[in-house]
Amino acid sequence: MRVVIAEDDALLREGLVLLLAAEGIEVLDAVDNAADLLAVVSAKAPDALIVDVRLPPDFRDEGLRAAIEARRMRPGLPVLVLSSYVEDTYASALLSEGGVGVGYLLKERVGKVQSFLDALHRVAGGGTAIDPEVIAQLLVRRRAGDPLHALTAREREVLALMAEGLSNTDLSERLVISEGAVNKHIRNIFAKLGLQPSDSGHRRVLAVLAYLRA
Amino acid sequence: MNVLTATRNGARFLMLGSGTALLALPLFWLVVCVTLLSLAGIGLPLISPVTRLVRRLSGWQRRRLGMPAPPYLPLEGPLPTRVRAAVGDPATPREVLWLLAHGLTGIVLGFLALGLPLAGLNAATLPLWWRLTPGSPPSVLGYAVDSWPLALTGPFVAVGYLGVACLVLPTAAGLSERLSRSLLKPLGRVRLAQQVAMLTAARASALEAHAQELRRIERTLHDGTQNRLVAVVMHLGMLERALAAAPESTRQMAGRAQEAASDALVNLRDAIRAIHPPVLTEHGLDGALAALAARSPVPCTVETADFPRLPAAVEAAAYFTAAEALTNVAKHSHAGKAVVRVYLDGGLLTIEIEDDGVGGAQGGTGSGLTGIDHRAAAFGGRSTLTSPPGGPTVLKVELPCGL
Repeated sequence: MRVVIAEDDALLREGLVLLLAAEGIEVLDAVDNAADLLAVVSAKAPDALIVDVRLPPDFRDEGLRAAIEARRMRPGLPVLVLSSYVEDTYASALLSEGGVGVGYLLKERVGKVQSFLDALHRVAGGGTAIDPEVIAQLLVRRRAGDPLHALTAREREVLALMAEGLSNTDLSERLVISEGAVNKHIRNIFAKLGLQPSDSGHRRVLAVLAYLRA
Repeated sequence: MNVLTATRNGARFLMLGSGTALLALPLFWLVVCVTLLSLAGIGLPLISPVTRLVRRLSGWQRRRLGMPAPPYLPLEGPLPTRVRAAVGDPATPREVLWLLAHGLTGIVLGFLALGLPLAGLNAATLPLWWRLTPGSPPSVLGYAVDSWPLALTGPFVAVGYLGVACLVLPTAAGLSERLSRSLLKPLGRVRLAQQVAMLTAARASALEAHAQELRRIERTLHDGTQNRLVAVVMHLGMLERALAAAPESTRQMAGRAQEAASDALVNLRDAIRAIHPPVLTEHGLDGALAALAARSPVPCTVETADFPRLPAAVEAAAYFTAAEALTNVAKHSHAGKAVVRVYLDGGLLTIEIEDDGVGGAQGGTGSGLTGIDHRAAAFGGRSTLTSPPGGPTVLKVELPCGL
């Protein structure tokens, strides 16, 4: 996999390059601003971008906007956005652009190297990686009589992980249960929430996220 | 002695006043000319330089009288703005009137202040020099002085002059001063308006300074501390991977260090959010409130009208008010839904949080409402709570924006 990194903090940028190189991921370029990112995206053909939300000059959401712009230049280009804090509204901005190959994680998730690499590969493969904190924010807001209340604790857990973008295999590994058990939980969740049971994979994630954001 | 000092001071005041009066009268006619030229349509560019001169001369007189400068409209910007400022300033007509009044009286009184002492001196020294004048004899009070007896009356006449000066000059100086003061002091309503404007500006700049400070702290924590901690977490993660072959205990140490740094990051994020929520900086008050509403356990809608970005401190206060109110709603109201309304009216930002819960809410120690009260008060605003038993509960907080 060949990635481009946009991160303005030199220590973090170099650390990321080091980390990815050690894991056998080729870093085509590492830039510190949005304009350079877009130049690299149009010149080279990266398989994925890793972008900090805040970039110079204003340190607001230049990175996020550059990521969306890059996906206009190369439709479907996988983008993993890193941020110092997460807001479900920002996740919505990314997901509303189609939601294929999109990730939105807290920066410090990088420290859990294996799950960070999993997320990166998932996004590069057209999947989704949404930070658990975003899902937690989405799960807080529930009205009385919400079908979510009918879920068991385990089913809520499965739902949250599914919303993060994990596959059935990931789920069974994470929860240390069989894939058959995972499937059963998912069927129950979809039935309780009144969602169409869709095939495993990306559309399922989007269905769950759409439900949570509604 | 007292009378003599007052007379001397009065004479000096009037003599100096005649100086400004000599300038005031031509300047008055200049103003008249420029006014006529402006009515003819060609004098407009001259209005603001002439007004500047008028203000400068009035300024001299004010300084002499120890009066503060009035709140002039600044003579800056494009021509129409400058003309409006010059003509529209309530001080302008009064200063022009002062030019005329002071110009006319100042010159006369100045002559008096100079002439009476000179005439007195002239008369007092008459016996010394009356014989020395070539040609016709000198005259005092209309009499030709041509004999010693007449010449020796000179000092007595001088005492008369002194008496007149003592009688006239202090009073004249007082009248002249009162005339200047009454025309050059700002009207009462202007003074009040000036104070309001000054206080508003002071509040705005205080709020802006506060906002900049908040942003600076947030930026420092964000770009400095937070990124450093992320780097620590990241490198510990890499270390953990590199230690694959190391003993389990070593890897555990790396893992614990990483957990500690991660906890620090969570704490830091909460602290930054409490100081100044980043979502406010990036998405403005309405965006931040929408995010807040989305996270509210009680379903919540936000109603905002379009308004400009407000001072960051006010936005933050409004945000925290809504956040605390929604927390209260979730805790106590048993409401099915809540509405946050925000609108700006004449520099006053109003935040209204309404829920359809059980009502009967009371402010008081320990309730979140106290904090909301204090925050509103700190901004010179106020909060009102209406919560009849059975609801609905409406909390209304008004915050002046310094706009």
